Amino acid sequence: MTEQSTVPTTGANSEFWTGKRKQRLWRAVQTVLILIAAFIMLIPIIWIFLAAFKSHVEVYQLRLFFTPTFENFGTVFEEPYDLGAKLFNSTIVAFVTVVFAIPIATMAAYSFSRFRLKFETTILVVILATQFVPAVVIILPFFIMFRDLGLLDTRIGLIMVNLAIVMPFAIWMIKGFIDGIPMDTEEAAMVDGSSRLQVIRNIVLPMAAPGLVTASIFCFILAWNEFLFALFLTNREATTLPIGLALFRGEEGDLWNLLSAAGIIIMLPMFVLALAIRKYFVQGMTMGAVR
Amino acid sequence: MRDQTLKYLLVVPAVLVVFATAVWPLIESLRFSFYQGRTDRGDFPQNWLGFENYTWAFLYEPAFWNSVWVTGLYTVVTVTLTTLFALGLAMLLAPGGKLRSGVQTLLILPFAMSPALIGVSFRFMFNPEFGLFDAFFGVVFPPLADVSWLADPDLAFAVIVMADVWGWIPFLTLVLIGGLASVPQDTIEAAQVDGASGWRVFKDVTLPQLMPVLAVVIILKAIFSLKTFDQVFMLTNGGPGTATQTLSHYIYITSTRYGQVGYAASVAWLMVIPMMVLTYFYAKFVFKKD
Repeated sequence: MTEQSTVPTTGANSEFWTGKRKQRLWRAVQTVLILIAAFIMLIPIIWIFLAAFKSHVEVYQLRLFFTPTFENFGTVFEEPYDLGAKLFNSTIVAFVTVVFAIPIATMAAYSFSRFRLKFETTILVVILATQFVPAVVIILPFFIMFRDLGLLDTRIGLIMVNLAIVMPFAIWMIKGFIDGIPMDTEEAAMVDGSSRLQVIRNIVLPMAAPGLVTASIFCFILAWNEFLFALFLTNREATTLPIGLALFRGEEGDLWNLLSAAGIIIMLPMFVLALAIRKYFVQGMTMGAVR
Repeated sequence: MRDQTLKYLLVVPAVLVVFATAVWPLIESLRFSFYQGRTDRGDFPQNWLGFENYTWAFLYEPAFWNSVWVTGLYTVVTVTLTTLFALGLAMLLAPGGKLRSGVQTLLILPFAMSPALIGVSFRFMFNPEFGLFDAFFGVVFPPLADVSWLADPDLAFAVIVMADVWGWIPFLTLVLIGGLASVPQDTIEAAQVDGASGWRVFKDVTLPQLMPVLAVVIILKAIFSLKTFDQVFMLTNGGPGTATQTLSHYIYITSTRYGQVGYAASVAWLMVIPMMVLTYFYAKFVFKKD
């Protein structure tokens, strides 16, 4: 809301509350509200950050000031937690998922963007709709199939099902980027005798590169944070970081300092990636429904 | 190669992947739902049951109805609260400036956080002995200080709602800020010149202009609320008892703990139907622009 809209028109019966004074007060109230909102948004994150640097005893004392320790970050990588293996699995699974998804999605996105296809709208709607299919529905047949094929608890299995999550976003996002590239350069090159594939390689791909990087990062975050598939399909060898969080439920209760350290390892890289593509984050999530 | 051929060749791999990873499992789940499909038998699925799994869920499973109720209430409450808070926050942050755009940047963070981790952090904060809320209420409102939040059915439900609303406000806020930016400024100013109060301007000018964007985010949020699993699993694991058991969690338990994949698939398909209705409206909004 703009400041003009807060100019009082009714109810300002005393001199004290009219004009500039009320406006300034309202602006101060807004600032306070914004700061409170920012604080609420940050609290769970700050709380995890603090606990990760506390010793086991200090977590139970609720202190804001304490001598920070890096011990937790060492402990989580040791037996029996062995977070390194989960970190490796998460990285490989998310990375390979993206490596498969992006080229396939780019090809399709180019075609959807530049040509009229039979059933184009239908295909695009179906692709869009698959994003909304509950993960529990998708996972049941895969669970049975992987059990029969011996693919349970493997990274390959996890990568295959992760494509289900990533593909619709990748196609729609990249289509949006290619839609934004003017067609003139392509047409000029075609007139000069380039083939369509040469045009795609030499003109479209370089121009779409920032968009492809953005889509890759977005998909990487989705695959990295994925939880339900990994919970169904993995139990030892191929477990990913979010599933690894369950390890820190000891007999004596939750080991909050270790949970928090693991939490930081999960979220910090994603914060960096998300901030890098923050302008496109919202667009990616709404798949062009909102611009 | 001619464009006529190429344009279809380019789409084939993507269509195959989407078909194999989403359409096929959807159809296969539907097939499972008509069979007895237990995972402790060698073959799968076993006997043809027709609609028996569905009638079983409707007639003999209070746990199914419980999860329908939990999911429905959860969806209505989280969609309402998230939308209202996000709308307020978007109005506050829309004007821009240093502080406001700084906070807008911060809003990305909860959204990049794994929902499972959000669940963990809320369980941490609501710990009755040393959680943040315990300490907070110890000072502000002592009667609430030693409440075991996650042991009480209603409070546990309130906590999963809070975790979800916390996690989704940022996204909805950012979308609505984008929507507010497209509300023509001169219309607002004209209304102000005519002497409309701030509230009237909002209700009669801003809100109607914002409706299409609002509709899209409400549908999107409803879809994600209906599917909720990760935070619930990490926060309460459906408990205490089944007080916070969403449909996704119910399907997870029946299929993994009890090995009833056929039955679970029928419940899963009952969940697909409202989802299809929502998707239909969502797709209408997406393609209306073209």
